[in-house]
Amino acid sequence: MTEATTSSRTAMIEMIKVCKKFPPNVMALDDISVSIANGEMFFLIGRSGAGKTTLLKLLCNMERPTNGLIEVAGMNINQVTGNKLAKLRQKVGVAYQDFRLLTDRTVAENIAISMEVSYKKPQIIRNRVKSLLSQLQLEDKHDILTGDLSRGEQQRVALARAVANSPTLILVDEPTGNLDATSTRQVMELLIRCNNSGATIVIATHDEALYQHSTHRIMKLHNGKLESLTRGDGRGWPSVAGARDSAGATDGSGDEI
Amino acid sequence: MNFWFSIFRQTGRNLRQTWTTQFMTCLTVSLSVLIFSFFYLIYLNMLNAGDKVSDDLRLVVYLEEEPGPEMQEQLRLKISQFDEVQEIKFISKTEAYNRFAEQLGDNRDVLTDMPTNFLPASIEVIPLKTLRSLSQIKLFAEYLATIPGSQKVQYGQQWVERFYYFIQLLSIVVLLSGALLILTATFMVASTIRLTIFGRQEELELLKLVGATNNYIRTPFLLEGILQGFIGSLLGLTSLYILFQWTARHFSGAGFLDLFTFTFFPPGIIITIVLLSIVLCTAGSYTSMQKFLRI
Repeated sequence: MTEATTSSRTAMIEMIKVCKKFPPNVMALDDISVSIANGEMFFLIGRSGAGKTTLLKLLCNMERPTNGLIEVAGMNINQVTGNKLAKLRQKVGVAYQDFRLLTDRTVAENIAISMEVSYKKPQIIRNRVKSLLSQLQLEDKHDILTGDLSRGEQQRVALARAVANSPTLILVDEPTGNLDATSTRQVMELLIRCNNSGATIVIATHDEALYQHSTHRIMKLHNGKLESLTRGDGRGWPSVAGARDSAGATDGSGDEI
Repeated sequence: MNFWFSIFRQTGRNLRQTWTTQFMTCLTVSLSVLIFSFFYLIYLNMLNAGDKVSDDLRLVVYLEEEPGPEMQEQLRLKISQFDEVQEIKFISKTEAYNRFAEQLGDNRDVLTDMPTNFLPASIEVIPLKTLRSLSQIKLFAEYLATIPGSQKVQYGQQWVERFYYFIQLLSIVVLLSGALLILTATFMVASTIRLTIFGRQEELELLKLVGATNNYIRTPFLLEGILQGFIGSLLGLTSLYILFQWTARHFSGAGFLDLFTFTFFPPGIIITIVLLSIVLCTAGSYTSMQKFLRI
């Protein structure tokens, strides 16, 4: 994907001169401006404390910026309130770093929550839950309490919940932090499938293997500042190449942009 | 899945999770309803009983002279100025004599040598059978004593006063138990909902993040309040009805209970008590939500 094609698409996310300062005087994000197109897969990298999670929290309105403008799907998310904000959030799936699972509920119930709030029919919810669990190799965990799962399984359930309601924007924080190679591949395949069906995906990660050989844009943060905005080298990630090819992903150049 | 289906599911799930607290709240509400309606039932029945007994209640004003028609009209106006009354009846000296003779029955011979005008003329005032009128009866009697030409005013002082004080005491008990009902229903429900909100903070936060609307999050709590009010009041009233039936069965035909016909609440009052409990519990739930539910 070239810069021209990126800019020709309508923007799903617009961030202009965004700053976030935490008390007493910690600058978590400083002067970040970036535009992420509709249907784009975007990687957010940087060391711990670089500001990746803060940026994701700003995008899903869990935090408010100290300065700057953030637009998601054409709406200034800091001015949207009430039912409009709820509707917007139904269209944004978030897989949190700390999972935010309800540990006293089953895997199926946790995944269903995001669909229940948008009043999906029970039959549709049941089918979607089964399909997602099967894609993530968690079929046998359907009725298990999430508190009884391993960290890796919890991470996959959190991701399944994020994508369950077919959101147009998916924000994923460290999706493969606790996963082995096979589970990482399943997770990435799921995200690529969502991306190919039109969802914009923003992934915050430490895992170089996820983005290094991809064709997607990579934004590197350092101490809250935008250090670089590049593309992967486009060689593709061996484990997910099959999924991407079958889904019809485009090639990239791997150039600095 | 429509809105109400989701809401009922959420409510059911929450009730299942916190059933012990919910059960205790329901029990407290039902106990409060039972106490309140118990005293209210006695109060209503006593009012009915008082109504029946006071059918014979009348104030008799003995006059110095028998009033002429014009004077009668003036006195009638004067009496009506104090309070609305059911009836004002003038008894002439002759009429009083005839009544007395009738009361004596076979012993009326003792009146043979007496003139027919030896008894004083009087006015019989029958007050309205309302609690307000009964409570004013003493004042009314004092007022009638000031009417020109009146000698003496008589009525069943002792009975009326005692009955009035009893009813007054009962109305205070009803008010107190009503206050108890208001306090327990609102505060207990408010505290239960507060505990539920604290216990489900994590879930509520998540619901908000996945796009649940305010109504989706709030309505189940309101519904819980409504359910607690409904079930609590039904339990309370059912217990009272069982108690009422038991009392009626065990004490019928004996002693003072036989004097009056005790009846249970009419449907209108039952519905009012249930609605009142629902409103109070919903208000409790609402205040807790406003205070502790940050969405």
